[in-house]
Amino acid sequence: MTTSQSTYLDDPTANDPVMEIRNATVRFGMERGESRVLDDVSIDLERNEIFGVVGESGSGKSMLASALLDAVVEPGVLDGSITYRPQSGEPVDVLELNKNELRQFRWEEVAMVFQGAMSSFNPVRKIDTHFIETLTSHDYDVDEGMERARQLISDLYMDPERVLDSYPHELSGGMKQRTLIALSLILEPDVLVMDEPTAALDLLMQRSIVSLIEEIKEEYDLTILFITHDLPLVADLADRIAVMYAFEFIELGPTAEILQHASHPYTRLLLKSTPNLASPIEAMRPIEGSAPDPVNVPSGCSFHLRCPLADEQCVDVDPRAYPVGDGGDHVANCHYWEDAPETIPMTEEWDVEGIDAIDSAPGPSRADGPLVSLEDVEVHFEKEGGFLDFFSDPDTVQAVDGISLDIYENDVVVLVGESGCGKTTFGKTAVGLQEPTAGSVKYKGQDIWDLKRTGGDGSMSFDAVRRALQIVHQDPGSALNAHRRVGTSLEVPLKRWNPELDGNDRKSRIVSLLEHVGMAPAEDYIDRYPHQLSGGEQQRVALIRAMLMNPDLILADEPVSALDVSLRVEMMDLMIELQEQFDTSYLFVSHDLSNARYIAEKTGGRIGVVYLGELVEIGRPEEIIHDPQHPYTQALRWATPELDFEGGGMGGESPVRNIDVPDPTNPPSGCRYHTRCPEAREVCTTEHPEPREASAADFHEAACFRTDERHEYWQSPSITDD
Amino acid sequence: MTSDRDRTDPGRAEKSHESAVSTIPDGGTVNTPFDVVSEYEETRRDRLKKLYDTYVYAPISIIKRDWRARIGFAIVLLYVFTATVGVYLIEPTHVTEGPGLAKPFETWEYPLGTDDMGRDLLSSTVHSTSEILKMILSGGLFTVTLGTTVGALAGYKGGVVDTVLSSITDVFINLPGLPTVMVLALMLPITGNPYLIGVLLTITAWGGLARAIRSQVLTLRQEPFVEAARSMGVPSYEIVFKDIVPHLMPFVVINLTNAARRVIFSAAGLYFLGVLPFRNHNWGVTLNLAYSGGAHYKTGALHWFLMPMIAITGISIGLILLGQSLDRVFNPRVRARHEKKLAESQLDEVEPEDDDSETMIGAA
Repeated sequence: MTTSQSTYLDDPTANDPVMEIRNATVRFGMERGESRVLDDVSIDLERNEIFGVVGESGSGKSMLASALLDAVVEPGVLDGSITYRPQSGEPVDVLELNKNELRQFRWEEVAMVFQGAMSSFNPVRKIDTHFIETLTSHDYDVDEGMERARQLISDLYMDPERVLDSYPHELSGGMKQRTLIALSLILEPDVLVMDEPTAALDLLMQRSIVSLIEEIKEEYDLTILFITHDLPLVADLADRIAVMYAFEFIELGPTAEILQHASHPYTRLLLKSTPNLASPIEAMRPIEGSAPDPVNVPSGCSFHLRCPLADEQCVDVDPRAYPVGDGGDHVANCHYWEDAPETIPMTEEWDVEGIDAIDSAPGPSRADGPLVSLEDVEVHFEKEGGFLDFFSDPDTVQAVDGISLDIYENDVVVLVGESGCGKTTFGKTAVGLQEPTAGSVKYKGQDIWDLKRTGGDGSMSFDAVRRALQIVHQDPGSALNAHRRVGTSLEVPLKRWNPELDGNDRKSRIVSLLEHVGMAPAEDYIDRYPHQLSGGEQQRVALIRAMLMNPDLILADEPVSALDVSLRVEMMDLMIELQEQFDTSYLFVSHDLSNARYIAEKTGGRIGVVYLGELVEIGRPEEIIHDPQHPYTQALRWATPELDFEGGGMGGESPVRNIDVPDPTNPPSGCRYHTRCPEAREVCTTEHPEPREASAADFHEAACFRTDERHEYWQSPSITDD
Repeated sequence: MTSDRDRTDPGRAEKSHESAVSTIPDGGTVNTPFDVVSEYEETRRDRLKKLYDTYVYAPISIIKRDWRARIGFAIVLLYVFTATVGVYLIEPTHVTEGPGLAKPFETWEYPLGTDDMGRDLLSSTVHSTSEILKMILSGGLFTVTLGTTVGALAGYKGGVVDTVLSSITDVFINLPGLPTVMVLALMLPITGNPYLIGVLLTITAWGGLARAIRSQVLTLRQEPFVEAARSMGVPSYEIVFKDIVPHLMPFVVINLTNAARRVIFSAAGLYFLGVLPFRNHNWGVTLNLAYSGGAHYKTGALHWFLMPMIAITGISIGLILLGQSLDRVFNPRVRARHEKKLAESQLDEVEPEDDDSETMIGAA
């Protein structure tokens, strides 16, 4: 067990801390021993700062949030001291408060915004009930409080009357999250603790909320502790950043300092492993190994097992906080902080191995015609009308509305877009798991749904199609049957499609594949249940299962978004490697433009941008990233957080006029993006743009009038207000 | 095998001896994982060992740790023992075997006393156990099998299949249970066959289970692992019974024990009313005789009532305890912890993540 302290007390600017945490430790007694999920953490939270805490899942960052509110769940035990200093009045020792005082302290002084906005509201009560209940249970004046609520909601760019009168399900995810922020501010707290407040949201919405948080902070005079796994996101927002690893802080400093002069090897590796748009893809490397077990944190420096700089001193002696630079406000817990920048450079390649193979990616072969061809595919879902609703037409959700796409052999197409834009539905249509309501899906020239219904002309069976088109799901935990062992799950495709194999043949094939993806000793993994695997291992098993079918096309539905940041690059590399070996095509679905760019650039694929059921732009990653033609692509480009090593803030003004996506049951007329587009003109509201060649580059198409220089758009008056 | 994938691509070469139809002779490359032949040999012995570990060792070691299971299991075993071995140890009784209405524990010859005709109550209780257990078995299995199958198929398949199966289910739910059973018992040539009586008693009971299972399957069929199975072309019946039903097993087991208790109670009740045909005495019939013999007002005849009642209550409690504790057996997390092979080595390194993540969720 480590006995170090992460002590950052000698900060010269630290003259007015709003919260002081000293030696906070959270212990859980478990059968196997004592588990420390927060290890002797000391920190000052300055008044009116935004303090970012970055760490991978299981690094103890949520526990820190719970500790601040003295809300560690049973049977966890919190030691140390936490002092809250209100603007006026005596300092409060949080851990000494009784139940009643704690209840007051928790929402009136320090409020918290949770990650799951979806589950933070009671689905059977209207939004205003939640506000009124919070006010009454804290004995606040309801009328005055509701006035404040309205103000807060409109400050967050929502219509207060509409929001307060809605049931939670009537609001989109982003609106719910913003409402939750409003609810947390209703009692005018001084400190706001935000635990992954945007993790469940799209990039565009994340980015919008992050800029709102800054406005809110100024207006309501808040101190914010922002917890996230996403370093680039918080880099735009925070004044100071602390990096957590293995339940303690390992580096802390002003944001710009951390980004430019990161001194702990873990921070540097984390920065490198984060896919982004600017740095060359070769520079993105995964971090080897996995985070330690809370019962069994390595002795000495907890990172030494994964650290390229580690030596005996790191094994024996837990590093104290070394000051980095002259300011004294940047500290790193590493014996070799001086050497880290040299050993782990941020830009140059420091490990060339394995990159060459990927550079020679064959790219799609278009000679044989498309493998899967989708023409004018429409998927409309009918919403069921009410019980006595005989006369009105049922609402239809136009999940996919007229998308055409050809996927070739060895091709990679990445679909990006906000959630609810129909990209997953479209993907499922492409692999024959969702029947289109109009249009056709052809596999090697055969309409697969005709084939299923009529049996086709005998040249191909639906079984062959079923085998050729596979899926890898977003959440690996639920993609594997929890009641089946890894071996049994993997045997399914072999039993179904290779009946000539006997038990031992199947086993040896599974074992060799498991070993191939780095899950050794495979004989052990075969007998495990899914819950005995980490998320990355589960996703590998799901991937192997699809590969065992020997498919032609795999739909990978956000395959990395459920994984830790440091594992994403590794998983994407594995998928690319398997693509070459198994000769398949991928249809990726992602909401993250930097992941999309990584995959598409490494494989020579294309990126398709989907908005409200339409494909608005498609092209090579170079064009989509550096020369986006459609305003929506530009907005996505803006929303992708970037690690700006030179410092500096947000990349300019928000390019969307309206942060919420329109209702898909009633999409806007004309160009569907015109309600949010900064370039919209009159003609966009009536006329629907068709996809057309967008630039001189190959395969680059966009559905926007701006690509046509002679279009009447240029004469049409603008409809934007400014 | 598919006929459309006949590309002679060495990258796709599979192990050549595996099949004459599908594979291309190995092109000589050893780059693909399919070419890597690892020495994985599993003998029959290994396989049996694994089966033993999964189906015998793990459940027993889970059950051993739960007091409800231990008691419930002991009670049920006692009844099974009585029904199988007990009948050979204790002679069947007959009228005027002993004195009328002997009190319990008066003589060791009739430890539980006798009824008004001098029949040994111990013996008649013991000898009716096997018949009741047969009824329980057939009734419980009938309810659970039919209810689970119909419910799961209706929920998974949807469409016309769902409409038809659900309509049939609704018809059975709405049949008035007691009158139906009475009429059928009179009409059908059952002649006291305990298996048929068990089915008869639960003929209206499976509908509710089918409905409940159907609604659970409706949510499970949306799960990604079901979709993945579908995309692999796994047949529907396999998806239903291998992927979906295992997730419902705790629920099914609780329903199995409830159905079994229902059989006992309705059998005893209907025998008491004299509605069901019978060949030999059983608990219900004894109750009937006790009632008509006036045991409820005669002093000194109370044990006549009590003996069958204790027998009925005992097995009911045993089944409840067993049912409540068996759900743990179907939990893969608990199972894995109790299996010999994994128990010592790897679990230690894997599990903390679970514990940790649980506490994290709890905290947030």
